[in-house]
Amino acid sequence: MVETSNTESTLIEREQKLAADLKSRFGDVLEITIKSKRIKIKVKSERLLDIANYINNELGFDHSTSVSGVDYPNSKEFEVVYHLSTYGREDFRDIVIAFSTRISRDEPKTLSLINIWPSVEYSERETFEMFGIIFEGHPKLEKLLLPEDWNDIPPLRKDFKPPGR
Amino acid sequence: MSKIQTFSSFVKRLIIIIVGLLITLTLLFSLLAYFVPSVKELQDILLSSFGNPSLMLNYLDQKGLGLNSLFFKVVVFPGFTWAALIAAEIIWFERKFLAKMQMRVGPLYAGKIAGLLQPIADVIKLVFKEIIAPSSSDKWFFLSIPIIITSIAAALLAVLPVSEGWIIMRSDVSVLIIFALVGFVPIAVLLGGWASNSKYPFIGALRGLHQMIAFEIPMLISTLGVVLLTGTLDLVNIVYAQSNIWFILLMPIGAFVFFTCMIIELERIPFDLPEAESEIASGYLTEYTSMAFGNLQLGVYIRFYAMAGVFTTMFLGGWYGPQILPNGFEIANQVIWFTIKTLLVMILAIVLRGVNPRVRIDLLLRMGWSSLLILSFVNLFLVILILQTELSQIFGV
Amino acid sequence: MSKLSLSVGPQHPGSGHMRIILTLSGDYIIEAIPDPGYVHRGEEKLAEYRNYIQNIPHLERPVVLDATGAIFPYVLAVEDLMNIIVPERAQFIRVIMAELNRIISHLYYMAIYGIFMGHSTMFMWPVGDREVFIDLANTIAGQRVTYAFLVPGGVRNDMPEKVKEQADKACNYFEKRLIEYEHIFMNNPLFEKRTKGVGILPKQDAIRLGVVGPTLRASGVKSDVRKDDTYSIYNQLDFEIPVSNACDSWSRAWIHMEEMRQSMSIIKQCLKRIPTGPVKLNLKQIKVPPGESYSRVEAARGSLSYYLISDGGKVPYRVRIMTPSFRNLITIPYIMKGVMLADMPPTYWGIDYWPVEADR
Repeated sequence: MVETSNTESTLIEREQKLAADLKSRFGDVLEITIKSKRIKIKVKSERLLDIANYINNELGFDHSTSVSGVDYPNSKEFEVVYHLSTYGREDFRDIVIAFSTRISRDEPKTLSLINIWPSVEYSERETFEMFGIIFEGHPKLEKLLLPEDWNDIPPLRKDFKPPGR
Repeated sequence: MSKIQTFSSFVKRLIIIIVGLLITLTLLFSLLAYFVPSVKELQDILLSSFGNPSLMLNYLDQKGLGLNSLFFKVVVFPGFTWAALIAAEIIWFERKFLAKMQMRVGPLYAGKIAGLLQPIADVIKLVFKEIIAPSSSDKWFFLSIPIIITSIAAALLAVLPVSEGWIIMRSDVSVLIIFALVGFVPIAVLLGGWASNSKYPFIGALRGLHQMIAFEIPMLISTLGVVLLTGTLDLVNIVYAQSNIWFILLMPIGAFVFFTCMIIELERIPFDLPEAESEIASGYLTEYTSMAFGNLQLGVYIRFYAMAGVFTTMFLGGWYGPQILPNGFEIANQVIWFTIKTLLVMILAIVLRGVNPRVRIDLLLRMGWSSLLILSFVNLFLVILILQTELSQIFGV
Repeated sequence: MSKLSLSVGPQHPGSGHMRIILTLSGDYIIEAIPDPGYVHRGEEKLAEYRNYIQNIPHLERPVVLDATGAIFPYVLAVEDLMNIIVPERAQFIRVIMAELNRIISHLYYMAIYGIFMGHSTMFMWPVGDREVFIDLANTIAGQRVTYAFLVPGGVRNDMPEKVKEQADKACNYFEKRLIEYEHIFMNNPLFEKRTKGVGILPKQDAIRLGVVGPTLRASGVKSDVRKDDTYSIYNQLDFEIPVSNACDSWSRAWIHMEEMRQSMSIIKQCLKRIPTGPVKLNLKQIKVPPGESYSRVEAARGSLSYYLISDGGKVPYRVRIMTPSFRNLITIPYIMKGVMLADMPPTYWGIDYWPVEADR
């Protein structure tokens, strides 16, 4: 959001309250950054499911808008970012939580959050085929958008150069 | 033909050519021997009939091809050519009318005025395409279905009374003939879908079967009303019985039921489930190309004309109408009125096409087996009421 | 009854560029598995090789009909990272283009909905009326369909003077036509019979599956990004969100029609209140500092969002596009179960699925 509205200070207040609540429950496992209406939570992969459950049940963020993979070849990591939003809690409808975890680039594996947020089904499949990240527990981890006879490395990785570049 | 590799295949080829030549030449000479005298005769008559055309007409009468012969009736006037012309121009009219309803222009370029020759252009295009039959289909069956359907449609024309003299075959059981022919169409559709050996035609053919069989019964029962009132199965007598009053005024419900069933039997939108393009990719017509497709469409539109003609005969008073041409031209007057009424029925069916989406198969069958059936029985009882009371005297039936 | 496995598309006049694998038992669908990916062009990868201005034309292309809705969140994200404020006049012009694209996209939706039910008039009338609005977009932005009109910092050019008059004529004409559409298309008994009660998506499922757009509002959830997470100048405008509790295909079509009415009202308000002034910031170069930004916008089909990561270089580091069709893809196995094959077109085209946008 570009505009600065005169209620910005109160908006940041909500986000700060949410951040404080999470930090108090889970402590050092999280790293939180706040902007107006956007909260970024970086989690270490051990407590992934607990924190996800808390955000879904207690805080009321009932669906995920997208799952993105980001490739950081310099630090040899992938970052998997879940963006979460809510329809149920009307006072939080404008807040989007970016819930992310970093996994190793050589053995990219993480837990699937499909049992908590069923809306991640196709986004996780797409991240799997574009980056090669395996989501354990996903019922049908197959190619979604790529052709069946794709035999190259997953295309959104930084070391895949499109033909002609 | 395969290449000639050995001497024995060369000898075989030679024998086939010689025998074939002998047979062809024999046939050719015998035909020539038969026709040459008549060709000479024709040449003389041709030359002299430039001044006196009736000579040509007499000659044709002699040969059995004249104006009053069966050949003329079947091929030209109330028969195939007339029906094919009306079918072609109804295709043009339908496209133009629908286009005007939909804020667009329709056929415009073929033919100098408003695209009148568009259907003919389409037929010529279809003739030049390749006839493809799927490799896994039953080829001879597959390709014979369009011919069967068109033949049934053309056979319906045989009993249609266009005016008092012009009817190809006047029979005591015309109505039965019509329903026998109409009842054969669902079987042909099913055979067409089955012979294509592919999923979408199969689904389309099954839908066609369900639809057509379900609606023959209300059609029959509403026709039964007309038959009861006139006491005859002969279409010409049914027209004579309407000289005082048209049957559509006596049994409007029956006319409505017959009209609805007619549109459904013809698979016109909104009832074109067997060819529902968006769901089952042209249904049982999917695998037909080129002239097979053209033949099928011709059959569909000729059937449209024939069924509309049957409706006119049974409910709209056949060829009766006020004398708009000078005296002495009664037959032409009758023909004109018959054509006008049939065209009006077809136009009504076309208007329905522009306004409605397609109906679903279960809704359609439910309507057929419940509402239309009940309405046709109600119509039957009303007709019996008319017969038993003095109303029939009043209406002069 | 034995099972028949049917592949609807991609070589099928009723499927668009997508395949749905149906398992039928008789005439009833027992399982529907979507198979997208036939028009996947790798937009996200392509965006990493072009700079921020070069990305604008090709990122509009997937969402062809609603080009402004496709590029609006991208420019919002870039402006958020650059921390710049767009002039007022540019904001109003952006909103006018966005609402115009909403009408154009919804008219195309109605056309496709009709033709796949066999109603050719319902195809011809909306497509014909759409030309009126495409001409208006042509006058404003210079192109008929995809504009490359929104840039970070404003819009590319100012609107000509005659836009107000042309927009008034277009809106007056179309408001009358909408009433005719209601009589002939929506209230047609055959249309109602085929679409009411078909393709039910209950409210709980809609929330749980994260559905967006008119499909969500037809299931009783009153949510629209323009009101919930308001952006640009929408908080100064007065409009309503149509909602229906019927959860079926008819109400989805009805909501599209009502949204067109609201869009016309928004366009009229914007044209009345638009201030004078510059239409873009004169930026010498687009220099985006490192950071992340997530922005979302209510495009015609639902909420379209961009997740933009920049590392300070000339080209973006990661562009993640999430289109409404891809989010609604998840409903296909749910709403098609137990439905008849003949009900598949109203169900499938009712959720306004656009394959090119879902595949990117």
